[in-house]
Amino acid sequence: MIQQGDIIPDGTLQYVPYTPNEDLKACPLPQPFKIHENLKGKRAVIFAIPGPFTPACSETHVPGFLHSYDALRAKGVDTVICLSVTDGFVMNAFGKVSGVKDKILMAGDGSAIFTKALGLDQDLTKNNMGIRSKRFAIVIDDLKVSYVGVEQVRGVTVSGAEAVLAKL
Amino acid sequence: MTVQVGDTIPDVSLTYVPYNPDESLQACPVPIPYNLHKELKGKKAVIVAVPGAFTPTCSLQHIPGFVEKADELKKKGVDVILGTAVNDGFVMNAWAKTLGTKDKVILASEGGSGFYEKLGLTQDLTARGMGIRSKRFALIVDDLKVTYVGVETTPDLTVSGVDDVLAAL
Repeated sequence: MIQQGDIIPDGTLQYVPYTPNEDLKACPLPQPFKIHENLKGKRAVIFAIPGPFTPACSETHVPGFLHSYDALRAKGVDTVICLSVTDGFVMNAFGKVSGVKDKILMAGDGSAIFTKALGLDQDLTKNNMGIRSKRFAIVIDDLKVSYVGVEQVRGVTVSGAEAVLAKL
Repeated sequence: MTVQVGDTIPDVSLTYVPYNPDESLQACPVPIPYNLHKELKGKKAVIVAVPGAFTPTCSLQHIPGFVEKADELKKKGVDVILGTAVNDGFVMNAWAKTLGTKDKVILASEGGSGFYEKLGLTQDLTARGMGIRSKRFALIVDDLKVTYVGVETTPDLTVSGVDDVLAAL
């Protein structure tokens, strides 16, 4: 499992760059987002949700980061990424429904490769959801992990925006 | 083995969120099981599979075609129109609300039931960051027996679209 002090593994996620007023039904092709190439030299928060359009993810975790966006920026965060084991099309739709605009980059790890490289996958087959990520938040500074918060309980505590802000 | 005309459809449970006209786009009710044999016994059904919710052909042409011509399908004796994909029931419900399927087409998740594996109709889209998906296809099922199989082999809708199904009924 990824630890504080580690260099974050490299990986390629899929995302649709933000377009203002993109129709809810529009489905542009996702593009690759390479972790190392895009986050080198930056301060980034990567928070992961088990599933878009699910209760805690939609009602608490994502909104928490949306509301704390300005506070995170004030503490030097360049990029906030929301990650899930699903494809870039679904993450884009979820981003539009959640109203994240250009504040949170909604990225899909559709084949779970990056999530597994972090050691933060979980098997939700019994919930009819297959392999997913755990709920977590990671802060990286020039690709070095400075905080890892992996949720052990239902709900959002160490993986939420407030916990991340407290560590910055 | 790929599913053939004359086969009985697999006895599996998909998952779905039943249609609620007052449900907001942001609401995320927990999906419930949709047992194929229980729900489709004695009925005529169309089962459509798409590789992914919120993807271009699926959203812009394939599923909307079935929503638009749902009444024509009903006139030809179809009781249930099921749209399916590997995406979970939460995602399928959000997609249903985006597309406005209402009560005309049920959008259900394969739910890890192995439905597509049993039909022999999976495809590996790992290289595109999408994992294992279903092929694009349409089945007509009469009292659990398959009477039509249309599996797309090109990116277009040629055998699995609503017009192809209407012609086969």
